[in-house]
Amino acid sequence: MRFRARPTDPETPDRWEAQLRKGALEMAALASLWSGRLYGLEIIRFLEGQSQLVLSEGTIYPILNRLKADGLLTSEWVEAEAGHPRKYYSLTDTGRRRLMQMAQAWASFAGGLSHLLNPVLNHSAFVSSTESPQEAHHDHE
Amino acid sequence: MITNRELENYMSSLQHDLGPITLNDREEILREISAHIRDSVEQSGASLEAVLARLGPAPELAAQYRDGLLMRKASRSFSPLLLLRASVRLATKGVSGIVVFFAAIFGYLIGGGFVLSAFAKCVFPAHTGVWISDGKLISSGTLFYIPPPPAQEVAGWLYLPTALVLGSVLILFTSFVIRRSLSISRLVQEKLDFTESAGAAR
Repeated sequence: MRFRARPTDPETPDRWEAQLRKGALEMAALASLWSGRLYGLEIIRFLEGQSQLVLSEGTIYPILNRLKADGLLTSEWVEAEAGHPRKYYSLTDTGRRRLMQMAQAWASFAGGLSHLLNPVLNHSAFVSSTESPQEAHHDHE
Repeated sequence: MITNRELENYMSSLQHDLGPITLNDREEILREISAHIRDSVEQSGASLEAVLARLGPAPELAAQYRDGLLMRKASRSFSPLLLLRASVRLATKGVSGIVVFFAAIFGYLIGGGFVLSAFAKCVFPAHTGVWISDGKLISSGTLFYIPPPPAQEVAGWLYLPTALVLGSVLILFTSFVIRRSLSISRLVQEKLDFTESAGAAR
């Protein structure tokens, strides 16, 4: 017996992936500040460079605002040499501790999941390496 | 210098939609977003339209700030009104939010009903109480038609403090459950949330 994905919502994997990224964004924003202070656009660039996390640039600012209100970040306005001031964020001690807890929770969660997903990933590697996907289902004959 | 009608529209729409956020916070948000726009245009050479598109529509951006504020305020408050508003927002963000919302409605209605019937006991003492017949509960609360004998009212004036305490406990318990689920949902969002942020992920 095989379970099939419901044909009624073809966009599900994309939406699920978007939610997954969005969910990890707060942790990622904290992690980007691990080695020093950055301003919003630098955080976005950093996250884009390290991961494909940022969906829309606007989402990062309300998250930074919330993390600051929760006492995990502090901010200061710093005047740039040429022109206008920028709002720099850095981790507070609480933020640093929280990020370490999150990183541990994430690592154990992701470790458990990838163990669970290994057979699935191996199987799909096998299917894509064969000429036609149907050959992969000959096992029941 | 960026002086553009479109930018002005974007910023004034954002300012307007930030609504209930305090003046200081609002100004800081506007300052930060306009610094972002200016830096993006100057550093990447992208057009203003492209930069604004990547930021997302102003009302959506403002809504994300407002949601953060509402959840934060509600998870520290015991005001049923604020908690209900927050649970309405939560209900738009996933199945567990809808469950919390209906639990909130249910809890506040029943709890409120108990408290009201405690007051009704003072005004309609004969019509308010608990009626039992042959050891079985026939009816309770404030009734228009009193159950006929052999049903008997057994609670008497004890009904008043009992209903008052039960109702208050239920209202407090409901508030506590909502606060709990708001802070859980915030915690979950900070880690690995698949469902609660569905609404905001668009």
